[in-house]
Amino acid sequence: MIVPFAHILLFAAALFVMGLGCVLARRNLIMILIGVEIMLNAAAVALVGGSAYWRQVDGQVFVVFLMAMTSAEVAISLAMVVYLRRRKGTLVADDFDGMRG
Amino acid sequence: MVASAVFYLLAAATLTATLLCVTRNNPVHAVIYLVHAFFDLALIFYLLGAPLVAAWEMIIYAGAIMVLVLFIIMMLELAPGGKTLTVDRQRWLPVVLLSLVTLGCTVVLIILDPAAAASGAAYHATPRDFGTALFDRYALAVQVVSFQLLFAAVGAYYVGKDESRERRGESP
Amino acid sequence: MNQSLLFLIPLLPLVCAVLIMLFGMRLPRLVTETLAVSGVVAAFLLTILFWGYADGEGTRASLGTWLAAVGVEIPFALYFDALAATMTLMVTGVATLIHLYAVGYMHEEADYARFFGLLNLFVFAMLAIVLADNLLVLFLGWEGVGLCSYGLIGFWYQKAENANAGTKAFLVTRVGDVFLAAALLWLFALTGTLTISTINAQASTISPEVVIALTLLLLLGACGKSAQLPLMTWLADAMAGPTPVSALIHAATMVTAGVYLLCRLFPLISLSSVGMLAITAVGALTALYAATCALAQREIKRVLAYSTMSQVGFMFMAVGAGSVAGAMFHLITHAFFKALLFMAAGCVIHLAGNENDLFRMGGLAKRGPRDVFWAFLAGAVCLAGLPLTGGFFSKDGILLALFSHADPVYQLFWGIGALTALLTAVYTFRLVYLVFAGEPREHSHSHELPGLMRWPLWPLALLGLGGGLINLPPLFGGHEWLSHRLGALAGREIVAAHGTEWLLAGLATVLAALGWLVARWRYGRFAPPRDNRVSRFLLRGWGADAAVDLLVVRPFTAMARFCFIGCDRALVDATLDGLARQTTACGERLRAVTTGRVSTYLAAFVWGFLIILGGFLLALVR
Repeated sequence: MIVPFAHILLFAAALFVMGLGCVLARRNLIMILIGVEIMLNAAAVALVGGSAYWRQVDGQVFVVFLMAMTSAEVAISLAMVVYLRRRKGTLVADDFDGMRG
Repeated sequence: MVASAVFYLLAAATLTATLLCVTRNNPVHAVIYLVHAFFDLALIFYLLGAPLVAAWEMIIYAGAIMVLVLFIIMMLELAPGGKTLTVDRQRWLPVVLLSLVTLGCTVVLIILDPAAAASGAAYHATPRDFGTALFDRYALAVQVVSFQLLFAAVGAYYVGKDESRERRGESP
Repeated sequence: MNQSLLFLIPLLPLVCAVLIMLFGMRLPRLVTETLAVSGVVAAFLLTILFWGYADGEGTRASLGTWLAAVGVEIPFALYFDALAATMTLMVTGVATLIHLYAVGYMHEEADYARFFGLLNLFVFAMLAIVLADNLLVLFLGWEGVGLCSYGLIGFWYQKAENANAGTKAFLVTRVGDVFLAAALLWLFALTGTLTISTINAQASTISPEVVIALTLLLLLGACGKSAQLPLMTWLADAMAGPTPVSALIHAATMVTAGVYLLCRLFPLISLSSVGMLAITAVGALTALYAATCALAQREIKRVLAYSTMSQVGFMFMAVGAGSVAGAMFHLITHAFFKALLFMAAGCVIHLAGNENDLFRMGGLAKRGPRDVFWAFLAGAVCLAGLPLTGGFFSKDGILLALFSHADPVYQLFWGIGALTALLTAVYTFRLVYLVFAGEPREHSHSHELPGLMRWPLWPLALLGLGGGLINLPPLFGGHEWLSHRLGALAGREIVAAHGTEWLLAGLATVLAALGWLVARWRYGRFAPPRDNRVSRFLLRGWGADAAVDLLVVRPFTAMARFCFIGCDRALVDATLDGLARQTTACGERLRAVTTGRVSTYLAAFVWGFLIILGGFLLALVR
């Protein structure tokens, strides 16, 4: 391995945390989606690192499935964004508070 | 040794790009920085012995998904359009620097080809191995994922359908 | 004849009362009225029939056990001895005449079933007091008369002041009842029984201090019902009730129940001279107080109410002086002439067009029917104590008992009694002159007087005038029939020199005549009512109502307000409300978590994840 496995995992963790921060801190729906993408990529990094460490290809196969699922998810999410924008005229997540108690 | 140096460099670039991505107000800028981050990630995947995954990262993630996001942003006119075409230094400097780093790393990788240099020691999955594993051991999962993509397509169509246009008799 | 038939005497009015209350409004009016009168008439006739049973030791009859527990057994029993028999005869006789009068008086009243039912129930309760063998039955009757008094005073309850008068009567007499109940319980604790004759027999075994205390308790209980100081504020306001009620309850029967109680327990209370002194003092002070108040009253029935208070004070003085016979004698004659006066007053009010104010009447001698005037006059001379009337002999007997008492303090009380007799004559003739003399002051059309309101006056007038014959002293050639009848119960034997007796009789005559002259001089001509501070003070009953309000009512309402607002509302309610409010506030604050925003829920998600992760890490470290 070119770098210790721990470093790869740290890197993946850092990416994940940044993605999480983006999801939690941003109010724009698009930005929340982008944060999700970053988190998914961080997972992919960890998977590929694991595949390299244990010298098996299964990690990479899983990354492929991850990408496929992400595409599907993004497709529906963006369709929903369009729909929500049409309904409410805004994409600020705070405005969607119909579940407010 | 060179490979690890490149790895750390690319990792730093990814993290910087991601950081810049999450802190932009303009969604288009955020998406562009994210695309850059994905480029760096693809190179990292290549470094870690997953060339096919790297290719797919580029094609699917950066090429399809982010473009789709950009498309929606522009369709919904979410980003404020620039009135002028002047770009100030604060804007283009980080992008250019990061791009230069990525470019440099790419060149280094092409020239040095660390995979071939450290053959045997590092793991490298050839497409053949990958495809064998995918369709040999994970065939069922492939089918399920393809269903999932179908559902996503149908669902996206349905959710995004414009009711008012249909009521008016136009084609949706 | 079976002695259990004695129970018919109180029970017949009770049965009639129940029937009237249940069915009175559905039966024809005449049937209800006949039922009411016949109940009392039957009791009267039965008393005469069973008169012989009261000879000697008297007769006891029991109708079953009331309370039975370990160590106590109290039956429904009655005791028909000479004292009880005399009182019963008077009660039922006067009640009969008053019932007849009431039929005429209330002939326009729509709610007659309630009235006659209560009236009969009252007679039952009074007879329960009179005929009781044990103190518990007496207490039952005691409370019963209080209840019926409340119901009858506030009979026209639609006017708030009538209802308030009834409530006031009930509450004030209730205070006296508390003392009576305390005495009852104490007696039971001391003697283990509530039978009156047993208590009287065992009276000498009780220690003197306890006897004094018991006497004072019994005195206070009697004061409540008999409207003596300090529990007298209710009687004047009780005149808000219909006149037959005033005649029966507040002249003849209920107010004398206190006297009767003391007479019944005389062997007990006579053991303590302090107690007897207290009784006499209360009677004397009340007599004087009431006589002064009667001088200034403007309403005809209020004059008579204060007069009753005063005369009952005389009866108390007689008991205190040791003469039960004297007290009973005055009780009986007073019942006759006071009932007569009230009934005649009812006629007067009716004739003057429902006018109560004395200073708006006048000239009824000329305007109204003559027999009302003569009947009223008969009652008035008895009350004033003009010689040879029944009132003269009974009042004189009391004054003699006071004068001839061994203790010189009783001379003082005699003096008060004499002064009161003078004042009695004054206010009595004031009443007569203001109502009947002169020209009519206000020309209002007079009403027709039903016959039933007039002719019951006559037997009472004759009884009042001739009542002296009941206990005619040997001085005037009589045999003191009542004292001999009562025998051992008659109390102290009154020994006095003939000279003293003549002196006192003469003094009484002089006082009565003096009072008449004063009244004639003052009120014979049309004097306007005096309106100075003295008369206003007397009119308000020496400010007794205000004093009670200040001393009792206000502290009580303040305490009640404190308990309600200060304790109940501020503490209990506030605690509970505060608890509820805090719970709601917590809920409100928790509610802030459900913002409906995705960001909030995502953040919560991450927090939860962190906590779980932390848990795993901790497990890993250990």
